[in-house]
Amino acid sequence: MSNTSEKNTSYIGKTPIRVDAYDKATGKGLYAADYTKFIPGLLHVRVLRSPVAHCQITKLDVTKAEAIPGVERIFTVERSPFHMERLPEQDRFPINGECIWAGQPIAIIAADTMEHAEDAMNAIELEYTQLPHVIDGFSAMGKNPVSIIDPASGKGDGVIDETNPWAKIGKGATLDSKFSGPNIVGNYILNKGNVEEAMAKADIVVEDSFYNDRRVHCQLERAVSICTYNSDDSITLYGSGCGVHGVIKSAMVNIFDLPETKVRSIQPYIGGSFGNRLNPYVEVLVAMISLFLKKSCMYEYTREEQFTGGPHAWPCLTRVKFGATKDGRVIAQDYDCVEEVGAIQNNISYTGRLSSSGAVCVYDIDNIYMDTAAVVTNLMPVGPYRGLGCPESEFGMECMMNVLADELGMSAVDVRKKNFIKNGGYNGYGEKVTSIGVEKCLEECAKKIDLDTPSVQDGSVWKKGKGCGCGGKQNTPLGRAESIVRYYSDSSVEVLISCDENGMGAMTVMAQIAASELQVPIEKVKVIKGDTVLTPFDNYSASSRTTYTTGNAVKIACAEVMDKLQEAAAREVGVHKSKVVIEGTKARILGSDIEYIELSTLFKNTSPYDQGNWGLMRFSPVEGHGLFCPAPIRSWGSDGLTSRMWNWFQYAACALEVAVNEETGQIKLVQVACSADTGNPINPKMVEGQIEGGVILAAGYDIQEGCTYDEKTGAVKNAGLVDYRVADMTFAPLQENFHSLINPDPLPDGPYGAKGMAESITIGIGPAIAEGVYKAVGVRPTKFPMTAEYILGLIKEKKAKEAQK
Amino acid sequence: MKMKFEKYFRPATLDEALKLVQEYGADCKIVAGGTDVVIRLRSQMLKVQTIVDISAIPELKEVKVTEDKAVIGAALDLMTLSKLPELKNSQWAIIAECAGHVSSTQVRNRATMGGNNVNASPSADTTPGLLISDAVVNVIGPDGARDIAINEFFTGPGKTVLKQGEIVVSFTLPAQDDRCEAAYKKFSIRGDTDIAIVNVGVRLGLNEDGTVKKARVALGGVAPTSMRAVAVEEYLVGKTITEDVIEEAATIARDSIKPISDQRASAEYRKEMVYVYVKHMIREAVAKIG
Repeated sequence: MSNTSEKNTSYIGKTPIRVDAYDKATGKGLYAADYTKFIPGLLHVRVLRSPVAHCQITKLDVTKAEAIPGVERIFTVERSPFHMERLPEQDRFPINGECIWAGQPIAIIAADTMEHAEDAMNAIELEYTQLPHVIDGFSAMGKNPVSIIDPASGKGDGVIDETNPWAKIGKGATLDSKFSGPNIVGNYILNKGNVEEAMAKADIVVEDSFYNDRRVHCQLERAVSICTYNSDDSITLYGSGCGVHGVIKSAMVNIFDLPETKVRSIQPYIGGSFGNRLNPYVEVLVAMISLFLKKSCMYEYTREEQFTGGPHAWPCLTRVKFGATKDGRVIAQDYDCVEEVGAIQNNISYTGRLSSSGAVCVYDIDNIYMDTAAVVTNLMPVGPYRGLGCPESEFGMECMMNVLADELGMSAVDVRKKNFIKNGGYNGYGEKVTSIGVEKCLEECAKKIDLDTPSVQDGSVWKKGKGCGCGGKQNTPLGRAESIVRYYSDSSVEVLISCDENGMGAMTVMAQIAASELQVPIEKVKVIKGDTVLTPFDNYSASSRTTYTTGNAVKIACAEVMDKLQEAAAREVGVHKSKVVIEGTKARILGSDIEYIELSTLFKNTSPYDQGNWGLMRFSPVEGHGLFCPAPIRSWGSDGLTSRMWNWFQYAACALEVAVNEETGQIKLVQVACSADTGNPINPKMVEGQIEGGVILAAGYDIQEGCTYDEKTGAVKNAGLVDYRVADMTFAPLQENFHSLINPDPLPDGPYGAKGMAESITIGIGPAIAEGVYKAVGVRPTKFPMTAEYILGLIKEKKAKEAQK
Repeated sequence: MKMKFEKYFRPATLDEALKLVQEYGADCKIVAGGTDVVIRLRSQMLKVQTIVDISAIPELKEVKVTEDKAVIGAALDLMTLSKLPELKNSQWAIIAECAGHVSSTQVRNRATMGGNNVNASPSADTTPGLLISDAVVNVIGPDGARDIAINEFFTGPGKTVLKQGEIVVSFTLPAQDDRCEAAYKKFSIRGDTDIAIVNVGVRLGLNEDGTVKKARVALGGVAPTSMRAVAVEEYLVGKTITEDVIEEAATIARDSIKPISDQRASAEYRKEMVYVYVKHMIREAVAKIG
């Protein structure tokens, strides 16, 4: 076995140069669109999409369009080999001509050039009759709501008719939930202790409702996939999508009934995902076209299409009611959470359970009742976004913690400290928590900006205020990761992995782990990633799992390499391998007159004419295989309780100061301190980068991002980066006022005690801003984005109320 | 999407340009910086077969600043204009200031005063500066040269009084009085790279006794075109600027407009922001006079 001891883990907790730094800084690294240069005869794809949220197509004629020179084929529901069930949510053609969201694909054009594809798209004759739509969660849950599908198509009434393709859209409540109705598609209830009794005993009860707008991930690289059709009837995909094995290859094999050897999926460098590229959508369309036409093709979304045809982040509608003792101990949590998931069909993912996982993992509360659901609307089907609903579900939780502190006249830090789950304690589900550093995170942030000292006002229209917030996010145990590690005679190393590198630094982390385990300089480690014929299985990088899951797999593979090296050295000298200690490029031998041998001498030299090449040899590396998979979850009953709902939890806290313009309602970040409990960080600098990025991303959507909709058509009005206002660099506070802090609580099963961290940092920002706004101008935001217009409205409302008195 | 057009010309003289725009008529678009035209060609909102690029005509890039007037070439890039010392230190400094608020560095490096105005966006940043400076648009066309007062130049979103075949050559700024200063605010959420929700330009000239001799108030983003708030101007003339007068002027401004709600802001919010920033700009102009 490996003899790696702590003193040898030389790259852990350090910050070597990223292994992809030069490639990315110099432009030598290839992204998917670069591959088009090497592939002749590519077809180009455009998609005609429904212009309205709900309509019945009355005419769809592609005759003229298909006659345009260069147009290979136009796929419609009648002209496609696959149209329902098998296609991913975002790619589904309308059933019986009924479009159920603005942006739903109606016709897919493949042509020799982009121009011809566009000409054809414009030449398609489309006529439709608009149907009533519902484009917000509140209306969808209201009394007698508009159904998101034409009632004539079989509106759900609780009875599921499996033969009806629409069946599961409106299957109604599955549990004894207050949320039921034709647009409710799933429920989850958690019932712990007795909330009613506890609430009655409470000294103080606080309650409010919260929601947020729809957002789009806006990762830098738009969705793109290139599919080559090969002479052996196999396909090769290059793209910006995540999960070469677990998502893309498996989707192709399953959807198109292909042998596993006929699909190769390659992921070059990718320009971000934030969850947007976790589900295959462009990939499936290019594969469908390639397989049908036996030609290579590519499809790259326009920026507008990322809003109309790519998954959105789901909003949550929540209600939070806390009952607490007068010293600040929360004894009852009555909580509702509804995920608005868009025009999801045949739902299996959404019940409210994903988002509400954030509401039970930070505080130790004896009595909890959570009633959660998912509701469908005539909007773009949703997909995961950084935090999987926790920033949305915890917004209200953290806002109410701040309200509770204010009502009790306590510090927001002290109230939380009275309620945090402690390491070794249990969360709301009944899971034992083995790593939780949130208290240290919050304390350091609060200290950094002197949270309990009120802001100094300068007499201008910009009023300042401080606030804080915390967050916890589960890691979903998403199956296995494998790794192959190869150790060559010159102690250079190859690490083969298939996790995603969305830009977070996964490749560098794996190099650090391999270099540390194998005791070689990191410059000698080459990371090879993301090609299904070369690199071993990994599901995909989601839920902040990569450092944990793939990291463990790399560590295990390294251990196997070390074991083989020990064995080889032992045989060479004539001792048992347990008497061999690897020390860098040497093996130290115990119990022999030979004290040391160089590992390189174990590898025989070779030439093309050598005979009898047994044993270790140059050019034939010692190979280790690592396979890691988190322990499985345990199913839960009607009370929603279980000893293993998720894997581990990551935590973060922030404290910040905002300035609010009382005339315009604008919010500015003055200073921010944010701290992550990463477990032991493998690479602290990259953690700091994740914190900075996470803070700006979250503050961006907390303050100014969000889709707006045309009431008449139900289509996104601000589908582009001009009016969908992603935060830019000027949005960040000055570097000297921006503190990225790390407060680890080691995770026992993480590699070196590390865990993932990049999601939880986005959670506390919104509530902290909301509290800062309250301290600055005396109004309490209950939704995000907290746009200037929204905040000014609250200020005016407050002034009007004061004037009435 | 790719741009689709058949012919592209880049004439070196104004005469040549005039001939080309006459020859190709309605099927031709003049481009200078291209920051609006290229986007519209790409999105196929604009469909023409001929492009006449006037960016190589030297006389369209000239700037002359004298005591009694300034003449600004229509095809000079806004970056140069925003940093031009002779303009920044002149009675027309507001023109340079407005130019400096147009979008990003990259866009200002290409975009021009002519384009920003001929594009006739109601939220254009350079227009309020011209409106409060009583600028004149110098145009040349098949029937010769003509001058158009800037407040008569715009007729609707994307529409001006320019006739087929006419080219904007320059903008002339008349002399301003002593004790006359201007202020401009672009109100947007994401700074200059965002499109203004509203913009407000104010120029005030004061008599020796402190009363208002001349007032110009321009508003953008609140009507189909950038506009002068004449009611506010009329109200201000003769008044001594006090907080009450400022309040009343801002109220008149707010009540005189009928903006629309769109993806950027609601009509109500636009009205409120006009109210807020007319006040600030009056104060700023007065403060500059000293």
